This record gives sequence, C-alpha cells and structure tokens, in this order.
Amino acid sequence: MAKKGTIMVVSGELDRVHTAFLIATGFAALGVEMKMWFVLWGHNCLKKRRGLFARRRKPVPDREGTYRNLDTDNLLQPMVELINRGGADHLPLSRLNLMGLGPALFRKMMKKKNIPTLKELIADADELGVKFILCQICIDALGLSVDDLIVPHVEVQGVAAYMKDTMEAHVNLFI
Amino acid sequence: MEVTREIDVTGRICPGPLIAVAKEIRRLDAGALLRVTGDDPLFEETILEFCREGNHVVIETKREGKRVCIVLQRSTVS
Repeated sequence: MAKKGTIMVVSGELDRVHTAFLIATGFAALGVEMKMWFVLWGHNCLKKRRGLFARRRKPVPDREGTYRNLDTDNLLQPMVELINRGGADHLPLSRLNLMGLGPALFRKMMKKKNIPTLKELIADADELGVKFILCQICIDALGLSVDDLIVPHVEVQGVAAYMKDTMEAHVNLFI
Repeated sequence: MEVTREIDVTGRICPGPLIAVAKEIRRLDAGALLRVTGDDPLFEETILEFCREGNHVVIETKREGKRVCIVLQRSTVS
C-alpha cells in the first residue's frame, strides 16, 4: 500500500506556504500520496490575483450555493476579500515583511539561487498528483470562490474527511 | 542498453532535481533507462533515495567535480 501524508495549511505567508509546498512536492515525487488541506489564510496562495473590485456583487446560486449558505452572506465577506486578495505572487512574509519590501527581496534572492517560485511549486504539486482540499466552513464564512483558483481540481470537504485522511496517513503536518 | 531519456538539472536545487526526475520517470516504460545530471550538493543522496523508494535500479554513478551523472532504470514493478 502506498504511503500517505497530509499537510494542513492554515498560514498565508510566503515562507510558510513555500515550505508546505516544498514538502508536498518532494514527498509526492518520492511516491507518497499527498493531500493538502487549505483553511483560512492557507487558501490565499491558490487564489487568482484579481483587481480590487473584481469580486462579483451577486454570487451565482447554483454554482456557489453548492458549498455556501447564500442566505447568511453579509457585507463583511466582500470587505474582508477586498483587503485579503491573496495570490501566490503577492503573499507577505511571516517575519521581516518590512511592509512588502521583505517578500520582494526574498523573491529576488530565491531567483538568484534558482529556488522554484511558489507558483511553480503549486503547478508541480498538481502535476505530481497532490490533492488539494478546501475547507467548506471557510468557503462559506469568508465567501470564497472555488472556481477562481490557479489549480484546476479542488475538493471541498469537512472535518470528517480530514479525520479519515489523517488517521490513514503516515505523516500529518500543520503549517 | 540504450539510455532512453537524458535530463540535465544542473543549477536546480532541492527539490527541483527530485521533481524533474519524478516527472520524467513517469513518462518512461518499465525497464527504460534515464540519465540525469545535476550539481546540487544533495543531488546524489536525493536520487539514490528516490531509487530506493520507487524500486528503481541505479545502473551507474559518475562524479566529475561538482557534477554527478546518474543512470537509473525504471522499476519493472509499478
């Protein structure tokens, strides 16, 4: 039976998410079946970067209503979305962020050292068969979209599926 | 036996070479040979570990300075 692993990504910072994806791609390359769970700010790295007011006013009920309770949607959700736009190339650092200067310098340093960018790692992870799973509660509470992501296939699951996956896995990380 | 595919991951660092080799070996038939060249400080250990994990056979390892050239054979069991 193949070895399995899960990574729960809660953080939205470049350094942490990058580490998570390094582990995921490395393990997947070594034949481990990896599942990555994204909750809260973890979702940010998968978002397509959109303009400030790109978010649609009205959600499409039959598409977005699958995982969301649209009746309880509120104004705070688009407001949070406005200042939490995410995007793999726009994540801050957990330390030495220096109001955006830190990530820019880090990216420069990583390019010089030939370290794959987060976007490349996400694409690699997808190609190596890493599964991406989003938390349904976060999608509902934060009014997130499952269509507007840089990875083509995501699953939406809850804590029961997470329990099953983690109990079956040999390694469970929480970043 | 003829080497079916050859890749050069010189300049790429961990986990770049590993990802490249993993992607490449999936495209090969069982028993086919892949030659991979790299100069990452952990390149040799990484590829040897990759072979142990996936039951691939290391046919040859050649070191020239920093560059290491490894020929491996894709496992016949998948």
